[in-house]
Amino acid sequence: MSKVIECKNISKTFESVNGDFQVIGDISIEADQNEILVLFGPGQCGKTTLLKVIAGLEPATSGTIHINGKEKTKPGPECGLVYQTTALFPWLTTMGNVEYGPKVQGVPKKERRARAQKYIDLVGLTGFEKSYPIQLSGGMRQRVGIARVYCNEPEVMLMDEPFGHLDAQTRYLMQEELERIWQTEKRTIIFVTNNIEEALYLADRVLVMTNCPATIKKEFKIDLPRPRDYTDPEFLRLRQEITSIVDPAE
Amino acid sequence: MKKRKKINGVRVGIGAAAICSFLCLWAFATREGTTLGILMPGPVEVFTHLVETTYTKVGPLTIWGHMFNSLRRVLVGFTIASCCGILLGLAMGWNRTLEAIFRPIFELLRPIPPLAWISLAIVWFGLGEGGKYFIIFVSGFSNVTINVYTGAKSVDPELIGAAKMLGCSERRIFPSIVIRSSVPYIFTGLQIAISSSWAAVVAAEMVRSTNGIGWMITAGQSVGNMEQIMVGIIVIGVIGFLLSTFMRGVESKLCAWSRVQDS
Amino acid sequence: MGNKNEYKVQVRNLTKKFGDLLVLDDISFDVKENEFLCIVGPTGCGKTTFLNSLSKLYDITAGEILINGEPVDLKKHNIAYIFQEYSNFPWLTIRENVEFGLRIKKMPEAEIKERVDYFLDMVGLKKFQDYYPDQLSASMLQRAAIARAFAVKPEVLLMDEPYGQLDIELRFKLEDELIRLWREVGTTVIFITHNIEEAVYLSERILVLTNKPTKIKAEISNTMAHPRDIAAPEFVELRNQVTDLIKWW
Repeated sequence: MSKVIECKNISKTFESVNGDFQVIGDISIEADQNEILVLFGPGQCGKTTLLKVIAGLEPATSGTIHINGKEKTKPGPECGLVYQTTALFPWLTTMGNVEYGPKVQGVPKKERRARAQKYIDLVGLTGFEKSYPIQLSGGMRQRVGIARVYCNEPEVMLMDEPFGHLDAQTRYLMQEELERIWQTEKRTIIFVTNNIEEALYLADRVLVMTNCPATIKKEFKIDLPRPRDYTDPEFLRLRQEITSIVDPAE
Repeated sequence: MKKRKKINGVRVGIGAAAICSFLCLWAFATREGTTLGILMPGPVEVFTHLVETTYTKVGPLTIWGHMFNSLRRVLVGFTIASCCGILLGLAMGWNRTLEAIFRPIFELLRPIPPLAWISLAIVWFGLGEGGKYFIIFVSGFSNVTINVYTGAKSVDPELIGAAKMLGCSERRIFPSIVIRSSVPYIFTGLQIAISSSWAAVVAAEMVRSTNGIGWMITAGQSVGNMEQIMVGIIVIGVIGFLLSTFMRGVESKLCAWSRVQDS
Repeated sequence: MGNKNEYKVQVRNLTKKFGDLLVLDDISFDVKENEFLCIVGPTGCGKTTFLNSLSKLYDITAGEILINGEPVDLKKHNIAYIFQEYSNFPWLTIRENVEFGLRIKKMPEAEIKERVDYFLDMVGLKKFQDYYPDQLSASMLQRAAIARAFAVKPEVLLMDEPYGQLDIELRFKLEDELIRLWREVGTTVIFITHNIEEAVYLSERILVLTNKPTKIKAEISNTMAHPRDIAAPEFVELRNQVTDLIKWW
């Protein structure tokens, strides 16, 4: 099978007056078409930076990134990023945010409106097209964030702890929703989380990361049937197996 | 919703009561027989005079004419100041080279109060309208610039990143993200600037003018007409209040997205 | 002591309205001395109002809250709170934060020292006692908050989702610590959360709330021995039972 994204030997060191600080140490990852790859690990360090490097928002200290064979060096529409903070444009409505990508790329109004409406409907925000982000709840804002990225039709979708700020129950809801959305329109997703239930619920593959510098500790292929059950014995067994090998956060 | 309306009603009521008590206190303090009453007219006299000035001329014009002249000066000076301030503020906030060039000059000029420029303004622009425009410009310009600059500086880098990832070109980031997210800051600047411009026009007219609200006060002072002075002061207060209310109204229309909506 | 102390906390017909909006609808329950009670409800249930009413921060519309059979009086009853936001004073060191409540109570200096040492040790912050809050991580701050709350030896400890923003593993670690402290020190704990697994992991009894207007939907006793295994069949069964009662998503 062809790899949608191939990252080879990525490393990242921040230089400062207090000395160098390595956050990513030689990571190679690749993902297949329509695969959900979850990067799971404790703490804040490394995983988010890795996504930013893949997105082209941070230059890597070394290593290369290819998306469908093309080398990636700067941010662009071939990757879409769903932020933990949502990073919605607060001055635009739901519709304005979702159609932003096609708009700045010159897609004619009629076409981009139709496309945006389709994804607004897909994420379950029909009726909220004219709402500003400030008028929406945390879960709804994250839906806008997902629709915005879907609507831009990237080759790879990156998700940086998108549900990290939500309460436990809304978080379950959004995990189920993301699963449903992805089942309707499959995409290649690289998903970062420090929540093991979330990782196991969504992933085709889980990469367990070490903390600072981030490296890949172990890979788990998750073959459980979808949609998954959080209290299924095999799910719980995997959960305990993975958490037992994770580095303590402190 | 209902509750909020009620609270607003209560608030307006309290405000009106406070103003009424102030008027009563004024009337009481200037009543027949007090020393203050000899020096200063009471609210009733001032109000009567205010009504009179709407149809009889004070000097060359009625009060409407004076108001028109003052407002015209403010509008001209304020518009020029806003345009320059927004441009300079955005430029300084977005481009590091421009920031390095203009920031030090700006920081040096900023603390100088507008009135300190009056003598220079007369030398440069003469006694006519030019000097007044200049004073108003100076008083509004730095307020607009500093706020817009802050706004352009504090654009969330995540939003710029998000826009780039959605395919926005480098050149479009500025109009599409930087200006848009600076709008609330621009309005804060404009609001402060309109108030300080209004204050400056009165001062400029008091120094040298043949009409305008500021002139009314100095003219009243030179002939010892206290009512005229008081009318001038009150009109300044009311117009200043109306101007900033108007600006706030425009702002809340344009920046609805940055405000918490009632749910 | 006698009969009136059979229940530590008694909530009777607690009702709260905001204007015409009924938020808490006639809630009654009791908490036994030294009991660990968890309260869970769906997102958007009147959780915060409920907590504020319990702590008397809001005036309640009707009903009463009794501690040891008497109406709650914050001056008389020793109640401690731990919230999700780490409520440490940023201008005090960790040690001074823990001392704070004891100083207010004008406790003798020697006793303050002894207690603060004991509780800082219990939560493993002895080494960090002279740091300021913004120098420590989220979980350390949450530990400091717990040490501070336990140091005053409260009769009742109210906790509002204190571990909401932490990694799951870290959460379990702090929860184990909490259980250990609670068993060692002995206090009545009312713990409010959205997290069903957490409630099943900690509690001796679970109150399940409905959506607004909030009522008590069910009361479930939880007698599993500590430490609990999240994969044990009885744990899973109880978790599913509570989830079914709450599930809105």
